[in-house]
Amino acid sequence: MKIFLALITKELIGFFRSWGLVAVVLYSFTLDIYIAGAGIEMQAKNISVGYVDETGGGMSQKILSRLHMPEFQKPVMFNSREALSRSIYNRETMVGIIFESDFEKNLQKYKRAEINLLLDSISATQSFQALQYLQNILLEYADLKYPVKLKIHKLFNPNATTSQFMAMAEMLSVITLLGVILTAAVFVREKENGTWEIMLLTPVNPKLIILAKSFSQVIIVMAGVVMATGIVLFGAFDVPINGSLFAFFLLSFFYAFTSAGIGLFVAAVSKSMLQVAQLSILIMMPLIFLSGAWTPIHAMHPLLQDLSLISPLRYYIEGSESIFFRGTSFVDLWSYFAGVILLGSVLYFYGFRKIGRLF
Amino acid sequence: MADLELKKITVTHKRVVAIKDASLRAQEGEIVGFIGADGAGKSSLMHAVAGVASFEGEVVFKGRTFRSPKEAEPLKPLIGLMPQGIGLVLYKNLTVDEHLTFFTKIRNIPESPSLREYRQRLLEMAGLSPFTDRPAGKLSGGMKQKLSLICTLIHRPKLLILDEPTTGVDPLSRLELWDILDEIRKSEGTIALVSTAYMEEAAKMDRVYLFDSGEIIASGTASELLEKVAEYSYEPTPCTTRRCITTMDYTYSIDPLDAPRKTPTLEALFFINALREGQQIPHIEISDRENKIAVPPVVMEAKGLTKRFGDFVADDHIDMQLRGGEILGLLGANGAGKTTFIKMLLGLYPIDEGELTLLGKPIKSAKERRELKASIGYVSQQFSLYKDMTVRENLHYFASMHALDIGKAQERISRYAKELGFEKYMDELPSDLPLGINQRFSVAAALLHEPVVLFLDEPTSGVDAIARSQFWQMITLLKKKWGISILITTHYMSEAEYCDRIVLLKEGKKVADDSVENLYKKFPKAKSFEEIFLHYYEDRI
Repeated sequence: MKIFLALITKELIGFFRSWGLVAVVLYSFTLDIYIAGAGIEMQAKNISVGYVDETGGGMSQKILSRLHMPEFQKPVMFNSREALSRSIYNRETMVGIIFESDFEKNLQKYKRAEINLLLDSISATQSFQALQYLQNILLEYADLKYPVKLKIHKLFNPNATTSQFMAMAEMLSVITLLGVILTAAVFVREKENGTWEIMLLTPVNPKLIILAKSFSQVIIVMAGVVMATGIVLFGAFDVPINGSLFAFFLLSFFYAFTSAGIGLFVAAVSKSMLQVAQLSILIMMPLIFLSGAWTPIHAMHPLLQDLSLISPLRYYIEGSESIFFRGTSFVDLWSYFAGVILLGSVLYFYGFRKIGRLF
Repeated sequence: MADLELKKITVTHKRVVAIKDASLRAQEGEIVGFIGADGAGKSSLMHAVAGVASFEGEVVFKGRTFRSPKEAEPLKPLIGLMPQGIGLVLYKNLTVDEHLTFFTKIRNIPESPSLREYRQRLLEMAGLSPFTDRPAGKLSGGMKQKLSLICTLIHRPKLLILDEPTTGVDPLSRLELWDILDEIRKSEGTIALVSTAYMEEAAKMDRVYLFDSGEIIASGTASELLEKVAEYSYEPTPCTTRRCITTMDYTYSIDPLDAPRKTPTLEALFFINALREGQQIPHIEISDRENKIAVPPVVMEAKGLTKRFGDFVADDHIDMQLRGGEILGLLGANGAGKTTFIKMLLGLYPIDEGELTLLGKPIKSAKERRELKASIGYVSQQFSLYKDMTVRENLHYFASMHALDIGKAQERISRYAKELGFEKYMDELPSDLPLGINQRFSVAAALLHEPVVLFLDEPTSGVDAIARSQFWQMITLLKKKWGISILITTHYMSEAEYCDRIVLLKEGKKVADDSVENLYKKFPKAKSFEEIFLHYYEDRI
């Protein structure tokens, strides 16, 4: 136990003395998560609108007046269709609306009229959100025979803001990435500095060395989790906590060991920090893609859906989501815990064996 | 007027002064030697002169002055630089011939009969003409250095800058390198700046500059310099005054001593300079070990130990015995298989063939080794210490790894720090300390658990003369007070003197294994160990 503590102390001293590493960890657990939450926007926001009005006003202006902040910028008038097209081509305008000269007449006379809509659909989500808004506006002008209205009850996330979920998903990805890289680094740094051999020659059980070294990094990751949850999730984004915070930290703790296990594997096959970085990214990307952090799992190809079952991050994200938003009770979280612990022990054991062979 | 003149050159790396106000002059055809330890500023000055590093001051060469690498650009065709490190400028998959062609092409030298003739002459001087088809990766260390040298010479530079060309090279190749240099400077009138870690090579230089921690402390011909210090050098006697120091084989004193004088070597200059500056040179001491042990008569026995890396045989059936309480010197050039051998002993490399008995136990499994780890101390080539922990933290860490009681560890650490003279550096990071201090504190770390046998891999490489002398004092004291066995590798042939027995490795094979006295008896004409070993290299080619 004394040796175990000495090993951990040594790693922690080493960590705090390397300013670069401390800075990376601090950044990842604060600003990086904040940027992910605040910066990735799925909703229509601040969309530039241009129009050509050949009707001479009336209905067209009424419709245009409904386009306002925060979703749309003030519509800009163009004199010709060509000018509007050019503006869209130059990425100055995202949505172009053309009211043809017979629009007003058709509307009055036949109760039917068409508006031409030009959409820059490169950023598909935003432009289709814009389209949806426009349709909703027009719907109100349409004279329907059987008007059915939707009354919406938003559950778990009443404002339907994506930032809370994005911030949380980013935090979980950061935990994964740092868990792997930090753990791999404590071993590979010894290889790089030539202290590896000295470490091998100490009469300490290699198992104890591996365990203590990876545990020290789990401690650092956990400190980061507490910090990120407090400052970014609760502080900056007001993420609700409907379940037990303790359950979340416990789940994170098991998960940190899972990523440490991947880190052990990376450390076993890498000779330099550069290789660690490359390999970590290579392993992490599919893990994160398959986890549902960026794409909902039900929207994936069926094969990928099956594959996502072996991504421990999936259970971690779903579990955390349930704790924060759904407020699932501790007992009902067992499936997520089971997923993380099961996959985690397999990965940790494999990494442990792999690096143990180098001793 | 001098053909080459350096005026007050100062080189700084990140606010650390590497060399300060260095001035020198040299004439056509002269060999100028730079002697000093790692970090003394030799390389920095060389890079400044070669026009590859920025500096303050000015360099005048062939009547043209430059103050920066940019201004040096027009002179580059006249300069040849061979950086430190064996085979660093070579490409291991290119053959000897392809190397020469490549260096001709990048220097833009037109093909001509005189070039062909010159090229052939270089190959012959280097003794490489039979090996023109051999890839550089398959050459021995000495051959690599010779190839690097002739590649640097192919454009007939008028200023040749060689950074430690002979370090770690076998004695015969070293002689050959000097012969090439001598011939070239005579036929081409080249000025050669050569740095070296070997004091013995000073005799071959026209002018010697001694470097010590960023300063040139003395200059002149070797004999002039020796004359200057002759009056301060004595046979070893106990010191009575403060301005006096006793090493393994000399006593240097600024105040006159009542003792017989002894002809000094250039090393004396470093000691006397330190004494003049009033530097405190810590006195090395070792007290008895706490736990008495009986050292077995044979500590380590290797029979036919072999290690292969692919086709390459690093160690070829080596038999060796390390007896109780002896200092065994494992000597050889770089690449001779010394480090590989030690690593096999320690279990860091698996043994391909042969038997190994350590402390009376045959070694087969990793588990048998772990039990022995507590009796073995090891210091590796780079003094592997944790760079982000202070000296004290490092030592405490190693103490707890050996499960030493905290109180006892504390006491031992402070005792070693005092005895080995690194007490005042306890709270500093190893990377901020001189190599000599790191060397002694690495040994202290290896001694914390009071081992029975100590393996030291190149502990004196690059360390300054004073630290080296203190190191050998420490080792001899350890043997005397603790009675433990010490296996030490080195490429300084002269250090063989301090060992009890010598094993000489050459390209993975054992070529000599004898006690120091017997070797002297065998070669009564040899003046130094350098010359004794030369026989072994000449004999079996």
